[in-house]
Amino acid sequence: MEVSWLHLIPLLPLLGAALCGLAGKWLPKPWLYAVALVSVLLSFCVGLFAFAHFPEEAPVFHQVAWSWFTAGSLHVDMGFTLDRLSGALVLVITGVGFLIHVYSVAYIDEDEGYWRYFAYLNLFVAAMLTLVLGDNLVALFVGWEGVGLCSYLLIGFWFTDEAKAAAGRKAFVVNRIGDFGFLIGIFILYNQTGSVSIAQLNSAVLPLGVASLAALCLFIGATGKSAQLPLYIWLPDAMAGPTPVSALIHAATMVTAGVYMVARLSHVYVSAPGVMALVAIVGALTALWAALIGTSQNDIKKVLAYSTVSQLGYMFIGVGVGAFFAGTMHLITHAFFKACLFLGSGAVIHGLHGEQDLTRMGGLRKYMPSTRNTFLIATIAITGIVPISGFFSKDEILGQALHTRAFSFLTLTPGSASHLTWLGPLLYVIGSASAFLTSFYMWRCYFLTFSGEYRGPAEVHPHESPALMTIPLWILAGLSVAALVLGLPAAWVHGTALEHWTWEAFTEGLFATPRSGSAEEFSPYLGYGIALVVGWAGWAVSYALYYQRGLAGDELLTARTGRLRHALFHKLYLDEIYGWLIVRPLWKFARGLWSVADRTLIDGLFVNGIPEAVAWWGSLARRFQNGNVQRYAAVTAVGVAALVYAFLLRGG
Amino acid sequence: MNWIEAHLLTVVLFLPLAGAVLVALLPRGEGGQHKGVAFLFSLLTFAASIPLWVGFRPSARFAFEQKSEWAPGLGFSYHVGLDGVALLLFMLTTFLGPIVVLSSWKLIQERVKIYCIALLFLETAMLGTLAALDLVLFYSFWEAMLIPMYLLIGMWGSERRIYAAVKFFLFTFIGSVLMLLAIFWLWSNSGAAGHRTFDYVELLAQGTLNPATQKWLFAAFALAFAIKVPIWPLHTWLPDAHTEAPAAGSILLAGVMLKMGTFGFIRYAMPLFPQAALAHAPFIALFGVIGIVYGSLMCMAQTDLKRLVAYSSVAHLGFVMLGLSALTAEAASGAVLQMVNHGISTGALFLLIGYLYERTHTRELSAYGGVARIAPALAATFLVVTLSSIGLPGTNGFVGEFLILIGTFTSKELNGAVPLAVVGATGVILGAVYMLWMYQRVFLGKDGKAAAHGIADLSVREWFTVAPLLVAIVWIGFFPQPLLTAIKEPVDAFVQRVSRPPSRQRTEAVPPPSLQPAPAQDAPGAGPRLFMPQRAPLARPTGEPRP
Repeated sequence: MEVSWLHLIPLLPLLGAALCGLAGKWLPKPWLYAVALVSVLLSFCVGLFAFAHFPEEAPVFHQVAWSWFTAGSLHVDMGFTLDRLSGALVLVITGVGFLIHVYSVAYIDEDEGYWRYFAYLNLFVAAMLTLVLGDNLVALFVGWEGVGLCSYLLIGFWFTDEAKAAAGRKAFVVNRIGDFGFLIGIFILYNQTGSVSIAQLNSAVLPLGVASLAALCLFIGATGKSAQLPLYIWLPDAMAGPTPVSALIHAATMVTAGVYMVARLSHVYVSAPGVMALVAIVGALTALWAALIGTSQNDIKKVLAYSTVSQLGYMFIGVGVGAFFAGTMHLITHAFFKACLFLGSGAVIHGLHGEQDLTRMGGLRKYMPSTRNTFLIATIAITGIVPISGFFSKDEILGQALHTRAFSFLTLTPGSASHLTWLGPLLYVIGSASAFLTSFYMWRCYFLTFSGEYRGPAEVHPHESPALMTIPLWILAGLSVAALVLGLPAAWVHGTALEHWTWEAFTEGLFATPRSGSAEEFSPYLGYGIALVVGWAGWAVSYALYYQRGLAGDELLTARTGRLRHALFHKLYLDEIYGWLIVRPLWKFARGLWSVADRTLIDGLFVNGIPEAVAWWGSLARRFQNGNVQRYAAVTAVGVAALVYAFLLRGG
Repeated sequence: MNWIEAHLLTVVLFLPLAGAVLVALLPRGEGGQHKGVAFLFSLLTFAASIPLWVGFRPSARFAFEQKSEWAPGLGFSYHVGLDGVALLLFMLTTFLGPIVVLSSWKLIQERVKIYCIALLFLETAMLGTLAALDLVLFYSFWEAMLIPMYLLIGMWGSERRIYAAVKFFLFTFIGSVLMLLAIFWLWSNSGAAGHRTFDYVELLAQGTLNPATQKWLFAAFALAFAIKVPIWPLHTWLPDAHTEAPAAGSILLAGVMLKMGTFGFIRYAMPLFPQAALAHAPFIALFGVIGIVYGSLMCMAQTDLKRLVAYSSVAHLGFVMLGLSALTAEAASGAVLQMVNHGISTGALFLLIGYLYERTHTRELSAYGGVARIAPALAATFLVVTLSSIGLPGTNGFVGEFLILIGTFTSKELNGAVPLAVVGATGVILGAVYMLWMYQRVFLGKDGKAAAHGIADLSVREWFTVAPLLVAIVWIGFFPQPLLTAIKEPVDAFVQRVSRPPSRQRTEAVPPPSLQPAPAQDAPGAGPRLFMPQRAPLARPTGEPRP
């Protein structure tokens, strides 16, 4: 249905950003906070309004805000589409975004850059909403790069710190590498179909080769934005930003953009089964890789960062095996519990006056009960030891991976008889192993933070955060529990009021899912049983090591695993490898090229060389013009003689 | 039509020159009044050019045309007019005029009078180059640009100004001489004695020359324009000229003068010699792509702020050349838009760097750091301009680059379009690498070094120069369509003419395109062109039958 109010959703935060950014320095603080918060809240209300007024026959709102640009046969609108998927994400972005705005009021109040902070944050919300609502790939790309910009600005928010500024730049550049792929993907699809509209692309018939290349290029974009192998390296560094930013941008919303994009273009991806397999494999490897590193980090935010990378890997397994609904469901539940975890860590850091090192925490349950309780709930959600939101969404992904038929037509080499039917089960095993590690490192994080005795310096007195910070925590913790409704198996809720609120039912018909596993094959009880065992196993190891031994658990682990843990502690040296292989050689090459090609060859040899050669000839010629009349006469005589001789020869 | 309407273009064209004359008549001494008059006249010029934009109706013909015979026997006339492409650059020039004068208010304290004369004279020369529709007139304005720019660099430049000025002059002059010979050749072949013409419109209507001749004439024109653009490897005059030039010189050089080269390609070199242009398009595109990558890499090696931005111009204009040689409406529109964008964003970069230099008297990156803390407004505006330069969506830079790349990628006329577009697109990554690196070095980090220089934030006067540029950056980023609409007709005509050159023998029967066999490469799976679009045949203008 065409409507005229959809543009309000991104516009309101954009206006908020403009007001905060241009006039924020002079606005009284309460006014500024009001502008920043209310703009997001209003946007949320428009989202709710949309949900309340979905037309029965086709629950889609559409608006072309304006015709952006037209050239040749390319036509790009600034158009927005709100369907159930983008609508749900609008609510998550503005809802979680609002809570984080509230939290931020207390968190950033004392910083002199508070107005800048809220301008960036509002701008981010606007960009993220554009990304989600964009009805064509170019409009989506506006949001895609816009969130990257805000991420850059907010990671480097405390820009006087060189390391933080560098982290922001790293995030932007790595994202740009992905964006390069994304652009090429747009070009390929446009070249094939003559359109950039998502609706048209999703109904176009794409040849396998074209679909595969396009899907691959777009996925390169997703690995950048959603921090997957091999481009995830910016996300851990992004923790340099203020913690609420990590919660909003680097956990709940922006980093999930890649998953959203794959789900949004599900028809394109389904046309490219090989790329789907790649997506799932990359997701599984990233989930495992990041979970491994997460076990050995001592910075509470770094643990959560690697956890985010790992959880994003799960989402890509979900969309990669064709269970788009499962991937996006985990996206939503993860937004709740990971935002809660990050904000909780922010409260811890706040209460410890900036301390982020797990080794100097401990025993905080006594000092900050609300933070501890909400952190506990969110930890349960992510580790899945009790069936709440994270348990259902993660298990849905793993179950779908086990039973997927997405790869049953794929072969490793063309014409080979053996199909990749083993890939699904393999993904399930890797995913379950990662789930074990997830449970292990999250409980490690929890135990080291809240259990045992306080290990920090005596002059720091841990304290609970103000209500402005704890209330959002409690709401997010509540959502982490309540979101379990999304993941309830259809059989359990059949005939009840909840039937329409499971995510699978809710997104019915939105995704192309011809090759995913079928529901009747899926035995939830066995899958759930295994998932619980895996989760509790991780808890048990963590409990034995860290609850009972405290920091000595780490020493014990290091004694047993030695080198591996050392390598994990150094993040498997990926940053160093990139530095040696790509970054440093590139800069060296640039400098070398400048001095050799530009200065020596072009400028030295040709530009300055030719005039110098001319000058040299000139100096040679000057010897003949030395004013010696006899020599002139002699030369003239020789010349005349030569001429006469020449004429005589021709004449003769 | 009243007189003023018929002569509006001429009035705008010579307003700055009138200002220059007035400044010349003023007594020497008091610098303020010279600058005042210069500012007033540049502002008047801008104001007078607004009716041109408002009154412009997109059409295939030239608007605001005025033709007066000058030397009819020689075929030389005063003939001016604007198409959409020229109009955009024309407006860009008049828009930058007052900004440039205002920006040098404090920096230039010596020989103010001649400085103001040079600036105003330069503006008329640039406007004339854009508006001229007669080759002699065009050439006169073209060469007239050199003198004031030579003076600006040579008189108000920094340490190595003489070297830079001479290099600038020799480079561009050598290229132009060959073009002059080519212009005379065109004239002598344009008809029988007594009926020859220098008129661009008439020459264009005569159809095309035989391909062998075209090749040489195209080479002569292209060399002159390629030096001006500059296309790699003819670019080395640019970093020197920019580095040594005063801020105003750099702004005009980057903002307008470089575009004279790309404008020359789209207006003269390619349409006049379409077969040669078509044959050489892959080379131009290749050199454009080399310019993008090479220029970006050069930026990464610089330690001098202005030199870095100068090399980024090489990269940006590489995009423009790629777009022009792709021969699709998308890419060519993007190229023209990118000319304007580059004028705005690189002009703004040089403006802001000029302000930094005014405060610190150094261009060394290592001397800066932490400026954002001391001068937040300067830092914020610089950031917006930086983002425009790296083509972030929402700024003007994105639309231009995107159109160029997508148009190149889908081009059917250009051999190797896909790899060229893909390699060109790496400029998007490299742009972010060097621009953000520069931004960090100058503005972020600890403020120890910059504090020693005591940097002040933007003054009110400076705000007046920066703000219009910022507005333009964001405005074009969100609403580029009016610009694209203005250039649609000339761009379509350009693409049409070069990709399907008209024959000079008009009697020769040209079969209508529909009867021609489909090009073999359109067959699915043929050759390396993997992604042939399966679009409806009407998606691309296939060329109407010639009249």
